[in-house]
Amino acid sequence: MTTTTRTPPKRTAERTARTGSAGRRSRREPQGAAWVFLSPWVLGAVVLTLLPMAVSLYLSFTDYNMFDAPQWIGLRNYTQMFTEDARYWRSVVSTLTYVVIAVPLQLGLALAVALALKSIRRGRGFYRSAFYAPSLLGASMSIALVWRAIFNDGGTVDDLLSRAGLDIGGWVNRPGWALLAVALLTVWQFGAPMVIFLAGLQQIPSELYEAAAVDGAGRWRQFVSITVPMLSPVIFFNLVLQTIQAFQVFTPAFAVSGGKGGPADSTLFYTLYLYDRGFTASHMGYASAMAWVLLVAIGIVTALLFRSSRGWVFYANEEER
Amino acid sequence: MRAHGPRVSCVVVTVLALCAALAACGGGSGGSGGKTVLRYSWWGNPDRAARTEKAIALFEKQHPGIEVQTSFSGYDTYIQKLATQAAGGDAPDVMQLDYRQINQYAQGGVLLDLGKQKDLRTGDFDKGLLGTGVVDDTQYAIPMGRGTQAVVYDAAQWRKAGVPEPRAGWTWKKWAWAMGRLAEATGKAGSVDPGHNEDWFEIWLRGQGKSLYTEDGGLGFTTGDLTRYWEWTSELRKRGAVSSAEQTTQLDGTVENQPLGRGKAVSDINWDAPSSGYEALLGKNPKLAPMPVAEDGTPGQYFKPSMFVGAAAKTSHPKAAVALIDFLMNDREAAEILGANRGIPANDRLRKRLIPELDGFDKVVADYQSGLEGKLKDPPQAPLQGDAALQRTLQRDYDQVSFGKMSPRKAAGQFVTAAKAELR
Repeated sequence: MTTTTRTPPKRTAERTARTGSAGRRSRREPQGAAWVFLSPWVLGAVVLTLLPMAVSLYLSFTDYNMFDAPQWIGLRNYTQMFTEDARYWRSVVSTLTYVVIAVPLQLGLALAVALALKSIRRGRGFYRSAFYAPSLLGASMSIALVWRAIFNDGGTVDDLLSRAGLDIGGWVNRPGWALLAVALLTVWQFGAPMVIFLAGLQQIPSELYEAAAVDGAGRWRQFVSITVPMLSPVIFFNLVLQTIQAFQVFTPAFAVSGGKGGPADSTLFYTLYLYDRGFTASHMGYASAMAWVLLVAIGIVTALLFRSSRGWVFYANEEER
Repeated sequence: MRAHGPRVSCVVVTVLALCAALAACGGGSGGSGGKTVLRYSWWGNPDRAARTEKAIALFEKQHPGIEVQTSFSGYDTYIQKLATQAAGGDAPDVMQLDYRQINQYAQGGVLLDLGKQKDLRTGDFDKGLLGTGVVDDTQYAIPMGRGTQAVVYDAAQWRKAGVPEPRAGWTWKKWAWAMGRLAEATGKAGSVDPGHNEDWFEIWLRGQGKSLYTEDGGLGFTTGDLTRYWEWTSELRKRGAVSSAEQTTQLDGTVENQPLGRGKAVSDINWDAPSSGYEALLGKNPKLAPMPVAEDGTPGQYFKPSMFVGAAAKTSHPKAAVALIDFLMNDREAAEILGANRGIPANDRLRKRLIPELDGFDKVVADYQSGLEGKLKDPPQAPLQGDAALQRTLQRDYDQVSFGKMSPRKAAGQFVTAAKAELR
């Protein structure tokens, strides 16, 4: 027994010695081993991501119904999209509306809950998991279907609101309200940004708050002058991530609207219309063109966010600049 | 950490998240030990599912080496799922097809040439009906039965409202009048709003001597025609004679979500055989009446193959797939189990044997069809390739009308523009 317990320290010592020398040697050795270890990722990235991307770029310049060979038509998909397709523009408007509603609400709720959880001592782990749980369930079709049932006419929400004297009917069948129902599903899944906010809040040195309290700053003042600036890199990170995800939202809208993007195209989000063009109408070339426009659009929005960040994101160690 | 740390990681995460936008995925299919596994999928109601499962069990008993995996869903979901599978080269071995799909799938190389399969007996089939499964001189699909459109109504509620029951040869005007009266008497809508469905528009249009598509592959109607139709349905909707926009937007091809199925209307417009689903919802009350005709008596309604069955060109078990199709189409016991649920069988021998034995809603359908024999005009040619997309577009454009976001004229113009782009 004693001998076995003694060996580990010895071994670790040996190992550190070995890795130390290997680290020095590695620059000269061929990088074969590295590639072997990287291969699962590289294969996946090339075969499942880069190759399909390249093919879809090609297809975006073709007329392709998935059965016959693609026919090169140049920019016609793009010109049709921008100049002839009224429904395309409606899907753009729906998506933007959704992003503008869902992202701030979700981040606001995530931050509020993170702030509340920060000060809770007992049962913090439990609350954290409980609030995070919806994010784990979020992308699933079943939750979206349950959501549809809750917000349909005769569903839970309709029932409760009618009893309260508000007879709106089923949200999912009314333009305007349907989008809100989908947005609420996203907002409900605030767990992931919340966990990141929590981690960020714990990084803020408590001396700052103590000093502020000594100077007579109230809670609101502390929040505005310490929490927000100190947390701004994390807020920025969450904002970028959630915005990109919101632009790509598909499952909730698909399930809540029964795959149709209705009523009256109000939940016909970009990706839903893209799917519809590709798989219902069999215009895969057109759908590919839409996907590339989306990629570029998200890229531009992200670039704008990064640019704006110079004005409001505060990095503690940049203070002197 | 350097000042750029958080920014760099932000960029990395951003790039990864962007890539996720374009990544696609595919599926595979598994086998099972020793047995030939066939995949058979169809759309339909729970009644059809129960009967099909029973017939499949019989088939598996007759062919111990074959196991059939079935899957079914509502029509709207089914066509999307099948399109996705077919595009990925993973179409089910045996699949149920609609008249609106066979052109696309046959020309796309998805379907097996069934004319070359010696084990498939088609000798007993009505030649005219069998011909509807031919595309480019090749028998790609076999019609499973004959169906037609109908006004389905809850007889008990209709009588209670004190409105005279529909009679053969009633006009659209009389229909609209009856719907208004039903709505007044019951407080529910008289019918589903026919404006949202290309099928019902087609019947109205045929009554005017026009058609959805011309023989040379163009559009058979003008913006003016569709505008008139939608102005008329909108007027009915505003009076409450037909279902509200909130109800109409929920239609998905299942009887459960039709206003009649949800208890929000007294009648429905539907296909005859699938209306059997109403028995489970309304008891023994559902009855069928012929579709209204134009003011001059021209009928728009027609008999058409209710659905087809086809096999995948890429199936690994063509023999087993053909055996299943042959069983579904020719086996006497199978025919007894399936009844008229997929329409009155297209197999003459089985039909003659079956009709006297039919009971319940199957008999209602058989009697309804025999009452229409010889009174209807020829069916239109098989719909063009882009039709599946246009069906959906018409529903969406009508949603804009019924929710008051667009005038009938503007929405009709938009539909005709989209249709012309689709057909060029």
